[in-house]
Amino acid sequence: MTDRKPLYLMSPALAWLTGFMVIPCLLVLALAFFRRGIYGGIEYTFTLENIALVFDPLYARIFLKSAGIAGLAAVLAVILGYAAAYAIAAMPRRRQPMLLFFAVLPFWSNYLVRTYAWIVLLNREGLIAAVAHGLGYDGELPKLLYTESAVVVGLVYNYLPFVILACYAPLSRLNPEMSEASRDLGASGWTTFRRVVLPVTVPGIATGFVFVFVLSIGNFVTPALLGGGQFQMIGNLVYAQFLTANDWPFGAALSMVLIAIMMGLLTLQTFATERASGARRQET
Amino acid sequence: MTQPLLSISNIDKHFGTLKAVDNVSLDIRENEFFALLGASGSGKTTLLRMLAGFEVPTGGAIYLDGKDVSAIPPNRRPVNLMFQSYALFPHMTVAQNIAYGLEMERLPRREIAARVEEMLGVIQLSQLAGRKPDQLSGGQRQRVALARALVKRPRLLLLDEPLGALDKKLRGEMQLELKRIQHEFGITFVVVTHDQEEALVMADRIAILRDGRLLQCGSPREIYETPQSRFAADFIGVMNFLPARVGGGVLLAQTGVPIAADLPEGLAEGAEAVAAVRPERLHLGQSGADNSLTGTIGAMAYHGLDLQLHLTTPLSPQPVMVRLTADAAEGRPLSIGDEVTVGWSARDTRVFPA
Repeated sequence: MTDRKPLYLMSPALAWLTGFMVIPCLLVLALAFFRRGIYGGIEYTFTLENIALVFDPLYARIFLKSAGIAGLAAVLAVILGYAAAYAIAAMPRRRQPMLLFFAVLPFWSNYLVRTYAWIVLLNREGLIAAVAHGLGYDGELPKLLYTESAVVVGLVYNYLPFVILACYAPLSRLNPEMSEASRDLGASGWTTFRRVVLPVTVPGIATGFVFVFVLSIGNFVTPALLGGGQFQMIGNLVYAQFLTANDWPFGAALSMVLIAIMMGLLTLQTFATERASGARRQET
Repeated sequence: MTQPLLSISNIDKHFGTLKAVDNVSLDIRENEFFALLGASGSGKTTLLRMLAGFEVPTGGAIYLDGKDVSAIPPNRRPVNLMFQSYALFPHMTVAQNIAYGLEMERLPRREIAARVEEMLGVIQLSQLAGRKPDQLSGGQRQRVALARALVKRPRLLLLDEPLGALDKKLRGEMQLELKRIQHEFGITFVVVTHDQEEALVMADRIAILRDGRLLQCGSPREIYETPQSRFAADFIGVMNFLPARVGGGVLLAQTGVPIAADLPEGLAEGAEAVAAVRPERLHLGQSGADNSLTGTIGAMAYHGLDLQLHLTTPLSPQPVMVRLTADAAEGRPLSIGDEVTVGWSARDTRVFPA
């Protein structure tokens, strides 16, 4: 007989997740297959119209745009986060926990507060404008707030700690003798990084990238606050369907496609990590 | 005299106030199998890392083929290091690991493939060329690490505790295997080890390091038979130490009986000293011996080839170890509690200041 103890330990959490997350989610998603009532209610007749509407060029474009912004944010966050994690891992061991703590510190403050802080920085009379004028710049500053770039900046800033932690894990486990072996065999510092350090730490990069992408593509707070309603991301669209347009079936359909995209990415990432796990066993 | 392949000249390495390597000079000849022997903290690994280029000496210089290489980075030295942890690349196959160093030399693809193949044959792992390091046993990984360094045909191959991670039986096999490979390739090997037996078995010459300083350098026989210090005598093999004192120009044991031995210079009248003699230099009886001692057998151990006795004697606070050949032991049955007399010659006695 197999040991059942793990199952008992897991069951309360599983029951919680099933009862309060999976089932309500499925109920909402099921709405996607019904018609919207004339006065905003739900008419229980089966239809695929809502799903089809998601792929209408108008909405598909929003999906693509959201993916573009999330992708850009993820790439930037990975570049910045990997570099920071690399630097932290290269520090003396006893200083690393403190540096990691500082890297993650902003994360412990409220998401909204952090995002509003960017408004203070970016607006026309904000800190950046003040500094530019203080330095003697008189011309017209480009618009900073309520732009696509502002949204990207906000997303990168918010999710950077995730990437630092995700990349730090494999980097700190890396046997320093491995880089030395590469140097010893004739490789330059850059070649060593490209051919040894980077491939061995790919799982961290994949985790960081997928994390930022998934959290960004469905985000609606940052685009609303820093994008200023100038454009919509998919998260805002879903928000609008449920809360203002009162079209729950279409909101559910949008959510369903969004969830499918996220699941697909998470599965890919799990595979990538699994494949590299053989590599990790030998690192120490 | 031809110039040595490697000349280490008055080299120092300080880490803050710690003198990890302190004024060491050594010459290593072409084709030599050289061992740096010392306990942990003796500076042997730091010295090796300076030879590889991972540490820059604080003072002194390293000459390879007559050229000062002290400041040349590791990737530009014709020297390769086999790491203690092996440091194999986990994302590459055995063959890719071995090919890596050749790719860095930008050799033609065909030549790389041929040399990797040849190397796989040498280490007898041709069947496993496509495996990743985590699919290999410890002994197989060790051979891949050796092959990866050796395939570059360095002027000098450095090995950091190459057999440290292997079990005892495998270690014995690999000692001979390393010697065979070294001979076959005609490459100079410098091995760092803390295991004196390993050094004695493998090396042509041994340098003993202690606290960053070079204590003694010589062939295994020289080091074993004529240790220059009490530390070296104790560190290599088994040695009996009899506490003694200089009195009337001769050495006196703690019981007052004289011990016949050559006194080293610098031992003044009345100075404390120790007389050292190897267990295998003691023989039963005192016929023809310059020295003798009588003791009670406290323990006996049979090792096949020889019989080891622990004698309790007033001459020494510790039991004296005696190693008799099976032949010598056969003539006379011995048992625990017996009183025996053993003798040894003045020639086999070394004297050190206490």
